Amino acid sequence: MAALSLENASRTISENASRLGQRLQESFSEHTRELSIAKGSSLYLEPDDKGKNIRKQLDSSSDREKLDAMKRLVALISKGRNVSEYFAQVVKNVASQNLEIRKLVYIYLLRYAEHEPDLALLSINTFQKDLTDSNPLIRAMALRVLSGIKVPMIGSIVVLAIKKCAADMSPYVRKAAALAIPKCYDLDSTHLPALIEIISSLLRDRSPLSIGSVAVAFEATSGGQINLLNLLLRYARTMLPRPSEEEIDSDVKFLLTSAEPLFQSRNPAVVLAVTRVFYYAGPPSYHSRIVQPLLRLLHTSKEVERVVVGYVLAVSRSASNLFSAFYHQFLPTDRRSPAIHSAGIYCQFTCSLHVVYLHVASQDYADDPDDEIVSDAISAIGRCAHSIPECTQQCLTALITMIKNHRGKFYAVVSSAVMVLKYLVQSQLATASSSSFAAVAATAQQSPLKIIAQLARRIDDIKHAQARACVLWLVGQYSASNEPSSGPEGVVEWAPDVLRKSAKGFAAESPLVKLQIITLAAKLLVLSPSDRTLSLISGYVLSLAKYDLNYDVRDRARMMTSLLSGLGLSEVVGAKDPDQESRGGVILRREQVRLVLFDGKIGVVDTQEELDLNVAALGSLGMITHKPMHGDSVLPDWLERGVESSLRDTEDDAPPPPPVMSFSSSAPIARTRGLASPVVLTPSGGSPTGGSKAQYTDLDKFYADEDEEDEEEETESEDEEEDGGEDEEGSAESGEEEESGGEKPQGHR
Amino acid sequence: MAIDGLIILDNTGRPIIQSGFRSTSPSYPLLHVDAFNNALPKSHRTGDIDPVIYVPPYNVADSPSACCHVECGDMRILCPVSGDVDPLFAFAFLQTFIDILREYFGALSAATLKDNFDVVYQLLEETLDSGGHPLTTSPNALRDIVLPPSLLSKLLNVAGANINSTINSGSGLGAAGGPFSSPIPWRKAGLRYNSNEIYFDMVEELKAIVNKHGTTLTSSVWGKIETNAKLSGTPDCLLTFTNPHVITDCAFHPCVRLQRWKRDSSMSFVPPDGHFTLAEYRFTPSSTATTARFMSAGAPTAALAAKENIPIPFLLKPTVELTETGGTFEFKLTSRMPSQAMESVVAEMYLGEGAGGVKCVASRGDGGGNVGRRGQDGSSSGSNTGSWAFDAKKMVVRWEIPVAPPSSVWLLRGSFTSSNSGARPAHALQVRFAVSSYTFSALKVDQLKVTGEVYKPYKGVRGRATANVEWRW
Repeated sequence: MAALSLENASRTISENASRLGQRLQESFSEHTRELSIAKGSSLYLEPDDKGKNIRKQLDSSSDREKLDAMKRLVALISKGRNVSEYFAQVVKNVASQNLEIRKLVYIYLLRYAEHEPDLALLSINTFQKDLTDSNPLIRAMALRVLSGIKVPMIGSIVVLAIKKCAADMSPYVRKAAALAIPKCYDLDSTHLPALIEIISSLLRDRSPLSIGSVAVAFEATSGGQINLLNLLLRYARTMLPRPSEEEIDSDVKFLLTSAEPLFQSRNPAVVLAVTRVFYYAGPPSYHSRIVQPLLRLLHTSKEVERVVVGYVLAVSRSASNLFSAFYHQFLPTDRRSPAIHSAGIYCQFTCSLHVVYLHVASQDYADDPDDEIVSDAISAIGRCAHSIPECTQQCLTALITMIKNHRGKFYAVVSSAVMVLKYLVQSQLATASSSSFAAVAATAQQSPLKIIAQLARRIDDIKHAQARACVLWLVGQYSASNEPSSGPEGVVEWAPDVLRKSAKGFAAESPLVKLQIITLAAKLLVLSPSDRTLSLISGYVLSLAKYDLNYDVRDRARMMTSLLSGLGLSEVVGAKDPDQESRGGVILRREQVRLVLFDGKIGVVDTQEELDLNVAALGSLGMITHKPMHGDSVLPDWLERGVESSLRDTEDDAPPPPPVMSFSSSAPIARTRGLASPVVLTPSGGSPTGGSKAQYTDLDKFYADEDEEDEEEETESEDEEEDGGEDEEGSAESGEEEESGGEKPQGHR
Repeated sequence: MAIDGLIILDNTGRPIIQSGFRSTSPSYPLLHVDAFNNALPKSHRTGDIDPVIYVPPYNVADSPSACCHVECGDMRILCPVSGDVDPLFAFAFLQTFIDILREYFGALSAATLKDNFDVVYQLLEETLDSGGHPLTTSPNALRDIVLPPSLLSKLLNVAGANINSTINSGSGLGAAGGPFSSPIPWRKAGLRYNSNEIYFDMVEELKAIVNKHGTTLTSSVWGKIETNAKLSGTPDCLLTFTNPHVITDCAFHPCVRLQRWKRDSSMSFVPPDGHFTLAEYRFTPSSTATTARFMSAGAPTAALAAKENIPIPFLLKPTVELTETGGTFEFKLTSRMPSQAMESVVAEMYLGEGAGGVKCVASRGDGGGNVGRRGQDGSSSGSNTGSWAFDAKKMVVRWEIPVAPPSSVWLLRGSFTSSNSGARPAHALQVRFAVSSYTFSALKVDQLKVTGEVYKPYKGVRGRATANVEWRW
C-alpha cells in the first residue's frame, strides 16, 4: 500500500510536472513575439512600419497588443513622423493598469498634448484621477501633461492640481509642481495671485522633514543651483547697494561666502554661475577668486574649453591682469586635436597677456602648417602690440622678421604680417600726431616710417594681392617728406622706386593692386609735381589704367586724371583727351588735390574688434556666438543705496534664527542655513513623523556647527544628521527650482 | 536656464532620437540638424567643428539660437539653446545625459540606442522637463524609475511577468520601496551585496608643451578618482591621504562633504552605488605655488611659471631638415621614467599637404637597463625596435613603441617628399603614452574608514597615468 501510494504520489507529481512543462511551453510560444522584442527594440525602427493596425492594436483588449502599438508609435515619433492622429486612441489608454503602457502613453501625451489641446481635454478627468495615483511617477506625469495642455479654460484646474501636488508627499511630485507654475502663468496670467500663494507657501514651509525630502528631489540637479545663483545675482544687483572695497553690504558678502564652495562643483555651468556672482556682485578684490575655477574648467572637455576660453577672453579684456599669470595654461596642448576651434584665440589671448611670451608662442604658431592658425597668430601679435604699448617695438620686430624670413614662400605668413603691420603703423602714426607718443616713436629704432621703408623695399617679395595693395597704399600715404634727398623733391627717396617697380608689372597685377598703384601714382605726383620722371611714370600708369579690362580700375584712372588735371598732367600724358578743353568745370589747385588724396585717411578703423562684448554678460550665448541672441542678459545696475535690509528678514513665526544667521540680517532670498528651510518645498499637509521637532533642532545645530558634528559619526542618529549635512550642499539647490519657478511670474508682474 | 531639447544623430547625420521641443515651430529641430550637417563638412579637419554653431532664425519674428553639440561614439548629440542661456549649461546637461546612457547601455553606438529606443525615450522624459529644465539626473535615482535593459528583465518579460509594474508601483513595496524612497538622493535605498567592495582608480593625465630648446612651456597634470562602490546599506566613508597637499583645484561629486575637505583635506562621503567620479584634482608639484597664485595682480615672474612645471618623463631630440621637395628627420626618444616602463608610446607628426614617399627606420638605441632589454627580447621583434606607419589620408607619420623600459633609447630616422613647393610639416611631434600602476602626483591613500555599517569592505586603490606631450622643433 505504501508503495502504491508512493507510486500514486510520484505519478501525480510527474503529471503535474508535465502539465507545468506544457503550460510553460505554451506560455513561451505565446510570447515568442515578445522574445523578438527582447532581442532589441530596433525592429520597431524598421522602415516598413506604415502605422497600419496601430489603431486596432490600441483598441484591443490585450495589454501586449497595446504595448506593441505604443512602442510602434514612439518609434514613429523618433523617426520624426507626426503621429498625433492617434491621439484619441492613445489617450484612452492612459488609465491602463499596465505601468509600462501608461508610461509610454504619457511620453506620447507629453509630446502631443500641446498640439492637441481639445482632445487632451477629453481625458482631463483621467489626469485628475491620476493625480491621486499611488505611484508618484504617475502623479508627476499627470501633472506635467495637465500643465502642458495649452487651453486657458482649464487654468483653474491646473492651479488646483499644482496646489495639490505642491503638498504631495513625494518630492519628485513637488518638483513637478514647481516646474508647472511658470507654465500655468504663461497660460493665463490672471492666476498669478493663486500661484504666488502656492509659491510662498512652498517657500515659507519649514517642516524639518522637508529639508531631507526636498534635497532628495533637488540635490542631484545642479540645474537648480544655477538658477538660484542667477536669481540671487539679479536680486543683489536690483536691490542692494554697490559693493566697494571698503564697504560691502553684509548680504552681498553673505551671498559671496555661501556661493564660494560651489566653485568645487563638477558641473561647469554651476562653476560659471558662481563666477558670475563673483564677477558681477563682488568688489574687484574678489575677482581673483574666479581665476582658478575657470582654469580648471579648461581641462574638462573640448566643448567646455571652447566656451570657457570665450568667457575668459571677455573677462581679460576688462581685467587683463587677472589671468596674466596663467598665460601658459592657455596653450592648446593638443593642437592637432579637434579641440581647438581656433588656436588663434589662444594666441590672441596669451599674447595680450604676456609680452615676453610673445615670441615663443606666436612665432611657433607662425610656423604652423595651417594657414588659418598662422594668420590668427599673427593678428594676435598685432592685438598685443595694440593693447600693450610697451611691447609694440617687439611686435614690430617680430613681424618684420617674419616678412624677411619667409621671402614669399608662405603667402599666408607674409600677407597677414603685412596687414597687421599696416594696422600697427597706422595706429602708431595716429597716436604720434595726437600725443607725446611722437617722441617715443622718434627715438625708437623702428619708427613707423622706417617700417614702411622696409616694406617698400620688399615689395617684390610680397606676392599676396591684398598685402601688396596694402604696402602700396602705405607708401603713398606716408611718402611726404621735407627732408632733402637724392630723389625727387618732396617725397621720401624710396617711394618713387616702388612706383617704378609696380608700374612695370602693372598689367599682371590684380585689380586690387592696380587701384592702389593708381592712387600711389597720383599721390606722388601731387607731392612732387615738378619731377619729370615721376610725372612720366604716373602718366604711363594712368594711360594703362584707362584701358584696363576692369571698370573699377578705369573709373579710378579717369577720376585721378581729372583730379590731377590742374597739375599739368595732361601735358605729360599728351593732351590726347579731346574733351579736355571743352569740359570746363572746376580745376583744383595742388593743395586742394593734396587735401582730397591724403586727408581723412589717418583715422584707424579697428576692423579686428568684434561685436562689443560688454553688451553681453558673462555666461550668455551671445558672448560665444558674437551675435545678439535676443536674450535679456544685461544685468541691472546696482542701486545707489540698497533697499532696507530688514525687508529681507523673515517676517514670520519662524523659530529663532540659528546662530549663523545673526551675522547677516539675511533673508528668505539669501542662502543662509535658515534659508535652506524657508526655500524648501514641502508638503503643507505632509505629516512630520514623531520626534521631528527634536531632529530639526538637531539639524539646526548641525548646520550651525557642523564641525563638531563631523567629529563623531558613529551612532545611528548621527548618521541621519549626516544626511542632513549632505543636504546642506543640496539645500541650495533645493530652493532653487522652486524659486526660479516661482519668482519668474513675479518678475513679470 | 533652460535648453530647448535634444536630438541624437547617427553618423549619417539623420536624427534617431529626438526629445520634445519647447518651441512650437516644427521646423526648429530641423533647422538645427541642418545647421550642424552643413557645418560639419566645412570644418576643414574632421572634428574641427565649432561646438557652438550659430543658427540664424528661420522667420524674422523668431529669435536666433545656437546648436551645442558633442560627439558620442558614432553619434552626435545636439542640444539647441536660445536666448541668453549659458552654453555650458547645455554641455553640462549633455555630459550628464551621456553618462546616464553609458550607465544604462555600456558602450554607446547608434545601434545600441536603436535597440533600446523605448528606454532612451523614458530616460529623456525623466531627465528633461518639457520646459527644458533637467529633472532627475542621478543614475541611482533613475534606475528606480526607468528599468535598465538587462537580461533578467527581458527574460521576465518573456515569461510574462511584468517586472516594471512590480518594481515601480510604490504601493506594491510599501513605503520602503519605490522611487525616491532613499533618504540620500544619489544613493539607492536597501542595497545588499554579498561581498562589499570599493575600488578607487586614480587616473592622471599629463599635458605639456615643450619648445624647440627643450624647455617646458606649459605642463599640467589633471587627475580624477574614479570609484566603483559595491557596498551594502548606507556606508559612510572617510578617505584620507598621506599627502593631500600635492593636489589642488579639486572638484567633487555632490556626495563629498565640502566643509570636511576644507577643514582637514579628507574626503567624507556616502557613496552612490556603482561607478562614479569621486573627485577631480590638479597636481601641484610645489605647495608654495598655491599661496603665490592668489597674489596674482602684478606681472608674473618666470620663476612662478617654472615652479609649476612638471618634469616631462622622457627626452626627445629632434633633428629635421627641410628642403624644397621634402625633408629628412631623426628623432631620438629617451625614457626618463624612474622605474616603470612607458607603455604604448605613440608619436605623431603631421607632414603637411602633399606629403608622401615616407621612408623610415625605427630602431632601438643603446642605453636602458640591460635587464629591461633582456626582458623585452622574449617578445616579438617588432616591440623591440618600435614600428612606424604613414597615414596618407591624415598626412601623419606615426611611430609606435609598445613598451619602453626606463632609460631606454629609441630612434626613428626617415625622409619624406612633398609635392607642394616647400615642405610644410607641423613643427611639433605629438607624443602620447601610458604608465600603469603609476601616478605623477604620487598621491597616496592613507586609509579608508567606513562607518555606519558593520562589515569591513574590501578596498582597492590603483593608479594609472597617461601623457600627451607636444614637443616642438
